[in-house]
Amino acid sequence: MATEREALSGAESLAKTRTYGKFRCHNPSCMGRITVEPGVTQCKCPSCGLEFRVAWVRPNFPRIRGPVWDVNRRIAQEAVTEREAAKAAKKEGK
Amino acid sequence: MAKVLMINYEKCTGCRLCELVCSVMHEGVSNPSRSRIKIMKWESEGLYVPISCQQCEDAPCINVCPVKAISRDEKLDYVKVDYDVCIGCRVCVTACPFGAMSFDVIDRKVVKCDLCDGDPQCVRFCEIQALEYVDADRVSVFKKKDAAERLSIAQKEAAALQAQV
Amino acid sequence: MALNRKIAYIDLSTGKIETRPISLEVRKKFLGGRGLDAYLLYNHTEKGIDPLGPKNVLMVSAGILGGTLASASSRTHIMAKSPLTELLGSSNMGGFFAPELRWAGFDHLVIKGKAEKPVYLWIHNGEIELRDASNIWGKTTTETQWAIREELGDEDIKCAVIGPAGENLVRFANVMTGIKDSAGRSGMGAVFGSKNLKAIAARGTMDIKIAYPTDALEYNKRFIDQIVSSKVNQTQGTLGTPFIWGATNSWGGIRTRNFQYNQCEYADDIEPERIDEIATETMGKYHMAGCFGCQVHCRAKYKIPSGPYAGKYDEGPEYTSQGAFGGEPDCKSAVTVLTGNHLVDQWGVDNLEIGSIISWAMELYELGILTNKDTDGLDLSFGNDEALLEMIRRITFRDGWLGDTLAEGGIQASEKIGKNSFSYLIQVKGMSNLHSDERATPALALGIATGSRGSDHLRSRPAIDLYHLPEEVLRKVYSNPVPYDGPLSSEHTSYVGKSWQVFWQELCYMGVDCLGICKYHTTFLGATLPNFEDWSRVLYYNTGLEMSPKDIWDVAERCYNIERLFNLREGLTRNDPKKGDTLNHRYFDEPCRRGAPDVIGAKIDRKKFKKMIDEYYEHHGWDENGIPLPETMKRLGLDKEPSHLV
Repeated sequence: MATEREALSGAESLAKTRTYGKFRCHNPSCMGRITVEPGVTQCKCPSCGLEFRVAWVRPNFPRIRGPVWDVNRRIAQEAVTEREAAKAAKKEGK
Repeated sequence: MAKVLMINYEKCTGCRLCELVCSVMHEGVSNPSRSRIKIMKWESEGLYVPISCQQCEDAPCINVCPVKAISRDEKLDYVKVDYDVCIGCRVCVTACPFGAMSFDVIDRKVVKCDLCDGDPQCVRFCEIQALEYVDADRVSVFKKKDAAERLSIAQKEAAALQAQV
Repeated sequence: MALNRKIAYIDLSTGKIETRPISLEVRKKFLGGRGLDAYLLYNHTEKGIDPLGPKNVLMVSAGILGGTLASASSRTHIMAKSPLTELLGSSNMGGFFAPELRWAGFDHLVIKGKAEKPVYLWIHNGEIELRDASNIWGKTTTETQWAIREELGDEDIKCAVIGPAGENLVRFANVMTGIKDSAGRSGMGAVFGSKNLKAIAARGTMDIKIAYPTDALEYNKRFIDQIVSSKVNQTQGTLGTPFIWGATNSWGGIRTRNFQYNQCEYADDIEPERIDEIATETMGKYHMAGCFGCQVHCRAKYKIPSGPYAGKYDEGPEYTSQGAFGGEPDCKSAVTVLTGNHLVDQWGVDNLEIGSIISWAMELYELGILTNKDTDGLDLSFGNDEALLEMIRRITFRDGWLGDTLAEGGIQASEKIGKNSFSYLIQVKGMSNLHSDERATPALALGIATGSRGSDHLRSRPAIDLYHLPEEVLRKVYSNPVPYDGPLSSEHTSYVGKSWQVFWQELCYMGVDCLGICKYHTTFLGATLPNFEDWSRVLYYNTGLEMSPKDIWDVAERCYNIERLFNLREGLTRNDPKKGDTLNHRYFDEPCRRGAPDVIGAKIDRKKFKKMIDEYYEHHGWDENGIPLPETMKRLGLDKEPSHLV
């Protein structure tokens, strides 16, 4: 059988969608793309404000190591308080 | 300059893909017992060492072969078996200090690394680069660089310790 | 050729061993590995048998691509009726055993009966021998392997073995090969133990002929490039699976304190980067290892840095150990995780199940359902690292009332403990959930609820759902090889289209398990990884078997339905909290207490969840009770089961 190069499979053709050097915010409603400067160890999501510790798989390949615990905890608590206040206001409105 | 197969066993992940591609390349089968390269393992310590022919300059296999079936290939500078001459006595297997001359139990012949005609498949498939095919002089340069790195790290650590004191 | 591997029927009661070829007809219907195992299980067992009795039948197999140039063609599959769930038992491991089994001439072993005294199987170049195992009974998993090698005088022997947990019939004992490769789920080690089968040793030098060697080599190179260039596998190759735990914990998808919290806060010491540091410190810069033929090398080598087991060598830990011995019991110490991992590896017990069950017991202790009297004075509080490690020992050796009770598995233990303990048990079909918390991710919740071997992330988890992929990317993945024009959603908090994703992933994972390759090499953690189309090529080049992507999909669907038939025969009903496609009530009743802003407060909506299950049944061609419709059976050629083709 001759070695003919077959067309790209569906999965292979998706390879061009890979985004090295960027990662997504871990906040489900945000999921914004974050780009960081080489070597940084902490970052803030420009769209939702969550903060993350950054680790480097390779020099050009960052990933989120974990949240900045105090900051993200506070932001989440505030969101809960806000939601509850909105709920209460809605109830009163009725 | 002739190239050599350079093995950096520290990098080896022990996956044995080199054994697989070697047996497919040479025999068209998956059968590591017929591979020219073999990873020796100390599993309880996590130590994996690929062993293949070193293509010795003064090769014991060439020296002991009673029918002069083994010679040095001019083009690729490797140790080559001429199967038209070989009588399958396995003296070369006994003589090789690395165990890199193997006996293929299916084809009943001795087998060894032939560098795949200049494109060693084990190297091509070793993503981690525990195996590399490099100009002969590079081997020692890489080792020098590694040693230098260790030295400089030790130096820095010593300096840091001194600073603490 | 690669298809001439045989099937061996081994009766341990009589010592009779029979070998047969596997016909092309059977190959085309079931391929091999898990799929053919499922067919054999359904055909060779009777309804309602005792999983630990001699009538249970144990299947051990390699995939149809095992040992070939398929990349990570290393997987061994083990199947039997599960002593943990009394439904389908099924488990899969990497390492080097399956290729060796194939070089020794076999693809499938069907092991029946019970040996009078401990034995092991010695499989060598087409021959099978039963050997006395009295002097290795009682040994740890690695001691057993080294002893067999020494006895037979061959260091290249690969073994699938059980440790003390399997011998003690701990209902979630595993089968292991090498240092840490485990067929962990559903208690296959206890089935080995119940048959007095300590190990299966294999060694072979028989050719597996590759159909088109040059093409297979070239295509394999391309296949590997596709796999190792993905971001996810580059991360795996550096940090191993712990990176998944780290990423999930970051937003609040990790269960902590059994199921009280969904994030293990301030757990920096058990984060993947910390574990990587320990591996580097103890094993050097290059400390990753791989299974047969795999270039992802996701497994770290390490030595325990301190504590009672300081200096012991092991491999891993996988994220399951991180979850089971770190997050769930809230023990935020890397040394504890690495030590727990070492103990379960040595004793042969499923890390995921034992960690989950201990965390459940810790919650019961906190609630006063278990008291100091039950624990023989052990302080079973969350965060007590020593108690955690002590409980691993007690369960493995069935030491004391609690150890012995928990060794029976969650449901059986809950029946003994009583006092509403069952409602705290985080399980599906009697098998504990992974350390992940799926309350904020409906697709993942549906996946664990419907998995054919009980709660499971490797049966159908659409993990790429978490990546917020654009809809067109999702469509490209999920409408191939069969068209799908229904809804799909990028939002992982949504219920829309998730039933199709779970259905598709089920067949994808079944496909990969039939081929015998690793799930990290398919659409599990990355959308750009190979699936049906790519497999069709790799199968052809290696075996010569011409199967279209749709043909492979059909095989997967057929095999998944056989697993369903087995479960239905053994008593699965849709809404049974112990044997159904259900979730613990806490998924619906208790909102998440931690995590990212809209993970806090999340829980599964009962109505929407029910609708997802309805849709999922519909995709499968099952009725509203989850029973395959006659036309589905006919379409898949399953209308005459059991058909005893092999």
